[in-house]
Amino acid sequence: MTDGPVLKIENLYTYFYTRSRQAFIRSVDGVHLEIEKGQTLGIVGESGSGKSVTALSVMGLVTAEPGVISGKVGLKTANVQKNLLQDLSEYVKTATITGRIMDVYKDNRRWQKNVDRVMRGIRGREISMIFQNPKLSMNPFTSVGRQIQESILLNTAVRSAAEARDRALYWLEKVRIDSPRLRYDNNPYGLSGGMCQRAMIAMALSSEPSLLIADEPTTGLDATIQSKIVELLQEIKTTVGVTTMLISHDIDVIRALSDQVAVMYGGTILEHGPADAILSGAMAQSHPYTAALMASIPNREQIRTKAYLQAIKGEVLDTINLPEGCRFYPRCEQVTDRIQEHCRLREPGLLSISNGHRIRCWRYQQ
Amino acid sequence: MTTAKTILEVQNLKKYYSSSKGLFTSLRKTTNFIPAVDDVSFYIKENETMGLVGETGCGKTTIGKTVLKLTPPTAGRILYDGKDITGLSQAGFRPYRKQMQMIFQDLDAALNPKMRIRSILKEALTVHERPSDAQVDRRIAELLEMVNLKKGKLNNFPGELSGGEKRRVGIARSLAVDPRFVVADEPTSALDVSIQAQVVNLLRDLQQRLKLSYLFISHDLRVVELISHKVAVMYLGQIVEMGMAGKIASAPRHPYTAVLWSSLVDKTTGEGKSVVSDLEGQHWGVFDFERPTTGCRFAPRCPVYEVKGRPPFCTNPGTPPELHRVGEAHMVRCHYPLQ
Repeated sequence: MTDGPVLKIENLYTYFYTRSRQAFIRSVDGVHLEIEKGQTLGIVGESGSGKSVTALSVMGLVTAEPGVISGKVGLKTANVQKNLLQDLSEYVKTATITGRIMDVYKDNRRWQKNVDRVMRGIRGREISMIFQNPKLSMNPFTSVGRQIQESILLNTAVRSAAEARDRALYWLEKVRIDSPRLRYDNNPYGLSGGMCQRAMIAMALSSEPSLLIADEPTTGLDATIQSKIVELLQEIKTTVGVTTMLISHDIDVIRALSDQVAVMYGGTILEHGPADAILSGAMAQSHPYTAALMASIPNREQIRTKAYLQAIKGEVLDTINLPEGCRFYPRCEQVTDRIQEHCRLREPGLLSISNGHRIRCWRYQQ
Repeated sequence: MTTAKTILEVQNLKKYYSSSKGLFTSLRKTTNFIPAVDDVSFYIKENETMGLVGETGCGKTTIGKTVLKLTPPTAGRILYDGKDITGLSQAGFRPYRKQMQMIFQDLDAALNPKMRIRSILKEALTVHERPSDAQVDRRIAELLEMVNLKKGKLNNFPGELSGGEKRRVGIARSLAVDPRFVVADEPTSALDVSIQAQVVNLLRDLQQRLKLSYLFISHDLRVVELISHKVAVMYLGQIVEMGMAGKIASAPRHPYTAVLWSSLVDKTTGEGKSVVSDLEGQHWGVFDFERPTTGCRFAPRCPVYEVKGRPPFCTNPGTPPELHRVGEAHMVRCHYPLQ
């Protein structure tokens, strides 16, 4: 823990231009994140809150224009220590009006070339990723085993094909695919959804990465399979101990796996801190959005008494027309007279309320 | 509840899809049939919600579609309000179509992207009757008020609405013709948590106000338990357990139901240890090809089967388990129901 975080994202901005509305979608709007070695950071948020785009920005996989426009992504592992967005400012010019980026010029072609150069040897080797849809992310024409073998040959010190094959079988066994020798020659479409997700996890781990990014690893799987994958990830967390950035909209999954949690809303982090503190759902010590989110999940008591759910009023934030003040203000029910002016007009900063627990809300300021 | 009459009854419903794919299968004498729905019977009373849960591909949606005659059943009877509607022609079914509606799962597919919301709702109103323009406007306003949608959205296209708003339009369209029975197919899936709660509340509100009966299809167990009066659990085309919602969730008798609900508990930090983890949950989910698949369909994945030392009785093709009564309004299809 003394050698600092494995991944440190500072001030990340990733925008997309929509031609039909002639405006920027502020997908990621000033994100700060840190992941300590061996820990799992869970990023939770609703669809469109910028979780996946944050992950893709780290991997340098954002290709739509203008994409990443500013920020710093510090990666610090045993072999590598660098800013993945180095020299970004050479390619991007921005114009800001009242603190908000209103116009961007970016030489995207040259930037992409630069990214590919910087990320060579990092993508797959230092950071690997588990995608949401395993069947789409794997090559349908090559057997699962061959794909893992290929990844091992490319990304690890193993050089002989036979040895790589043994390694691949080891990882297939590790993710509890039964009869791995038979499964080795199956194509992704010959596997069930849960099985395929396991193979995907095996592939991501096979390169022995310093950082694993799991983007919605259990979404789209059946409840029973989902809990099995969560169990597997829990097991891997203890046996392999890989530093993980886990993205999910499912709070149960986040709760089961994370040490640290970041709550995203409309492109920013609203709350960041230890998992137990954030997911306790106590109104007094958490962001109004987190608390409301926790309350909108039916709990045992509500199910038993058939009570009405506490829904968050309004719709998910439209990141094109951001409100002037706090992003959650239009839907917030914790606004008091004391802070109302602030909430409406000025965006609060992330304020530390206890050790490592930071909240972006006016309720906790002053 | 006791005096309420049965609005929908399904008797021994079967729906087989033939799996003839490719050019040469038609030359073969035999066709493979996939029993999507295999001998399903249930009834729904007025103003009641029946939840239907199960994994992907177990035939939940097929039941919903067959009940509404969107696809013809292979065998069995569907009774609506006491009348047999199974054999009715499309024209003969038309008066019933008004009373039985469906809320579709995928609204990007169910709402025409080239039509404005106003036209979508208007089409639903004018398809069965010939109301005047003023009547249509009044009814649309009513519908919007019912589902809490802003009037300004009427001129938008579906693509311009958020997921929650689209869902509301879908619900409004289903309610346009004053149905009495609604099949809600995964109405909360693909919605964000905060919006999901809004939709669940809305559906319950509407049931109270309009005296609706729902067939609520979902794989979200918590929502099903919350909204349903009774629940049927399906596995591979068959109902394996049926009973009151609270009973099914808290005291399941079929191993599959227990596994299903325990998968929910496992993820949260374990409010209440489940029955199945005591029964060595490790065996669950590992599909063992050496285990036979005749007799009970769940046997290859069943933890009880494993604990009992794989009794041949379970997998004997001559004695498949039947749905039998194990308690008040509680049916189970298992040779060794849990206690």
